Amino acid sequence: MPVVELSYTRLQKLLGKISKKQISENLPFLGLDIESEDNDKVRIEYSPNRPDYSTDLGIILGLQGLFGIKVGAIKLNIKKSNEYVLSVKPSVSKIRPFVTGIVAKNGRIDDDMIKQLMAMQEDLHFGIGRKRKKSSIGIHDLDKISFPLTYTTSNKDHKFIPLHSDKELSISQILETTDIGKEYGSIIKNSTQVPVILDSKKQTVSFPPIINAAVTTVTTKTRNLFVEVTGINKNDAEDMLSIVATILQTAGFTLISTKISGAKNTSPKLEPRKISVNSALINQMLGTNLTNSQIITSLKKSRLDAILKGKNIICTIPSYRFDIFGSMDLVEEVALGYGIQNLEPILSPSQTLGQTNSISVKLKSLSLIMVGLGYTEALNSSLTSKKVLYEMTNREPINMISVLDSKSQEHTILRDSIIPELLENLSRNIHASYPQKIFETGNVFSKYNPIKETTSFAVISAHQDASFTEIKSILQSALKTGFNLEIETKTFSHPTFEEGRTASISVNDKTIGVIGEINSKTIENYKIRVPVVGFEISLSGLLFD
Amino acid sequence: MSQIFHEIEKKIITSLQNIPIQTPEKLEKSTNLSPDQIRRGIEWLKLKDLAIVNESQTSNISLGKNGLESFHKGLPERRLLELLKNESKNLQDLQKELGSVFGPAMGLARKNNWVDTDDDKVILKNYLTELPGEKTLKQIGENKIPKNEVDVDDLSSILKRPNFVVEDIVKIKEISLTENAKSIEVTNDLSGAIDVESKVPGIFVARTHPLKDTIDEIREIFVTLGFTEIIGEFTQPSFWNFDALFTPQDHPARELQDTFYLDGIAAKKIGTAEQIRKISESHKKNWRYYWDINEARKMVLRTHTTCVTIKHLAETKPDESRVFSLGRVFRNEKVSYKHLVEFNQIEGVVVGKNATLRDLMGIQKEFYRRIGITKIKFWPTFFPYTEPSLQTMVYNDRLGKWVELFGMGIFRPEVTKPLGITKPVLAWGGGIERIAMLKYGLDDVREFYNNNLGWLRSVTKCQ
Repeated sequence: MPVVELSYTRLQKLLGKISKKQISENLPFLGLDIESEDNDKVRIEYSPNRPDYSTDLGIILGLQGLFGIKVGAIKLNIKKSNEYVLSVKPSVSKIRPFVTGIVAKNGRIDDDMIKQLMAMQEDLHFGIGRKRKKSSIGIHDLDKISFPLTYTTSNKDHKFIPLHSDKELSISQILETTDIGKEYGSIIKNSTQVPVILDSKKQTVSFPPIINAAVTTVTTKTRNLFVEVTGINKNDAEDMLSIVATILQTAGFTLISTKISGAKNTSPKLEPRKISVNSALINQMLGTNLTNSQIITSLKKSRLDAILKGKNIICTIPSYRFDIFGSMDLVEEVALGYGIQNLEPILSPSQTLGQTNSISVKLKSLSLIMVGLGYTEALNSSLTSKKVLYEMTNREPINMISVLDSKSQEHTILRDSIIPELLENLSRNIHASYPQKIFETGNVFSKYNPIKETTSFAVISAHQDASFTEIKSILQSALKTGFNLEIETKTFSHPTFEEGRTASISVNDKTIGVIGEINSKTIENYKIRVPVVGFEISLSGLLFD
Repeated sequence: MSQIFHEIEKKIITSLQNIPIQTPEKLEKSTNLSPDQIRRGIEWLKLKDLAIVNESQTSNISLGKNGLESFHKGLPERRLLELLKNESKNLQDLQKELGSVFGPAMGLARKNNWVDTDDDKVILKNYLTELPGEKTLKQIGENKIPKNEVDVDDLSSILKRPNFVVEDIVKIKEISLTENAKSIEVTNDLSGAIDVESKVPGIFVARTHPLKDTIDEIREIFVTLGFTEIIGEFTQPSFWNFDALFTPQDHPARELQDTFYLDGIAAKKIGTAEQIRKISESHKKNWRYYWDINEARKMVLRTHTTCVTIKHLAETKPDESRVFSLGRVFRNEKVSYKHLVEFNQIEGVVVGKNATLRDLMGIQKEFYRRIGITKIKFWPTFFPYTEPSLQTMVYNDRLGKWVELFGMGIFRPEVTKPLGITKPVLAWGGGIERIAMLKYGLDDVREFYNNNLGWLRSVTKCQ
């Protein structure tokens, strides 16, 4: 989950008379988890569906609602203007077809504000921007730009001074030599043309989605901003813009519209939506008896607007709340505004009778029988390594099932047998006293249309006098006592077991597994110092389907 | 106090009551018991606080090969003096006479001014009746004697000579009775009684795995709360693990770095044509992207058991139901004391026309009460497939803080509608290892899968 760092003093300055304790106690009720606290600084995790919480300004809007300082929806006041024009050339349509933008004037930007804006931009790029692939933002110093702007394409020889650089670089150089170019270049790599925003003096403003030009860098001296968002989907780009616009208005900027046209692009509206919800649905879902006015109050505390129209509540949802899909989302908004802590848990009697799955019942019986025979239950991972599963047991890795890009080398292959891991367990316990007798039941996997999962049962016994007879007695007794099954063993060969002391196991003429003495090569591979005997059978098809 | 003693104990006590301090060797003779019986008897009596074992060490010396030769023939320097006693002799003659010991003997005699040389002649200057070391040599002879019985100064003159004196350190155990034991009456009782108070050796108990015990406990709680257990496969098409649960195909949770994809394995059949069509439509409409069926076919190791539940609900479309599933789930994570790539999850649903969020909270509260957790609270959170979504926070007394346990919520209409599920579905789920860690007081979750016999054989079953 994404993390944002807040300062209590800054929050208090913006919220008014609210104590630090009140703030920290209420953050979780916005769905924000406090990750760590260090005096004035608090790091919180927010849910990816609420990108408006990627800055403290967004969180303040939420807290104002919870504390009842300011309630209701945030209305964007966008002044209409024809001054800021951005035209789009058709050439962008195959690369990154959409652009949108807004102007924000007369704001104050201090270091804290820059930090919050940068963090927000990063989070938006990573989350709803899907690592800039879907949409990306550029925030510029408006006064360094000459309108009208053009969103067009250029070839890779095009040069400009990128952000954080003091010399001119070509697009190719940016893509090949800068960290940011290498990281995000793949988004536009396949095209010979790349998207750029140029101003009326042919000066480069931005090379989306990679980097802005240095000339428009925002500093603490900047008072007026131009924000552009480019992307592959118009609605997604406008969603992202609506968050930035809401945050900038909250920070004290005056919003002014940008006129956008060309190649299916239009000026952003950023207008609220209306969703109708019935109080009956809300009360039915929450298990409450809230009145219409309680519901409306709760929605307003969640920074939405709501009015009663006939039997329905018409809810106004500002454009930055695009996480709200329909009426069930409003049920949650009511719950949050009302306060989760005010919902009393109830335990209604069950209308159904519970039942344990018959597989679980049989596996449990088998475990108890094995314990009765003196065997301790082991638990291993289904994911193990090629080394443990095949190399140590001298088995050929045919039809191996591997996972992609595992972060752990010990967990790369799905097991097709349990015995290798039980032997691995023995090798880690050579200093514990003998006899060591362990068993495990669990899933094993084989390639079959596309994968067959079966339940396997493996048992091993390791001590100075371990013998085939001993382990066959265990198998025979376990299946006879547990399930009234008679086993037969027939001479067999297996790379893990000793030649001449290995047998296949069958029940009613159906082969179900292998039993025998583990051969000396395997025992040496695992550095075990005593004889080991064991068996493994498939329970699927034997005890259950 | 009447005490029952073993025959061995009786014999040792009786013997020590007669001769108060004895070594084990002496006890063997006085009791006619074997060394092993004596050793065990002393151990038992010590545990009962009836015998005292005093351990000390002394050093014994005896003569080595060269020492014994000197004991029989005289020290080399003695032999030199004897040869010169009557007449001066030639160097070469003496060398022939004494052989290899001539050098050291000559050196010592010259240094101590017993002899002098004049060209080739060796002349006796001083004849001593007793040379340093001779007294000790005679005293030890062919015996082994305690080191403290000999004159330290005299010993020092031969102690450093090679193979002269052999020293060995001997540990001495002296057994005596405590005051209590001195007056004990050891009677011969014929009742066949044994010492029921003595300690016995420990044996290991074979047992089910502690984590399995916790899983069974949780299973039983849900069954008694009216839930039926369903079981599903670990390997699932992305369709059921993600798409059916309204997780868009470009969602970060679906990336390789979080989810285990099976290399080159795709499902041929993932659902009914209607299920596929409706789910793809819901994604296209709500998430606004190109939904790719091939992405949905990719096989993954399930990241939650919710895929088993949703598949079950899509098949049965119940009006009223309580089911749960319990089993392994997988995350592509770095293994650490708090993260495993593979762990167990419990996950359950209530379907019913009157199911409410408060019921969901009530079931959680009752579950926690039954596993002994009473300090809980609910916080809002987010899951792609539930709305509203909550998480339980429970207070961990040992850590002194609130920790997150189960997540829960009501399935979104975007999840239920395409699958033809019409009644509200309350759902919750969470990791079992976390609960087991609280129960067994573990700080490292890996312990459950180490199969360390030391731990498995010692951990208390009911905690």
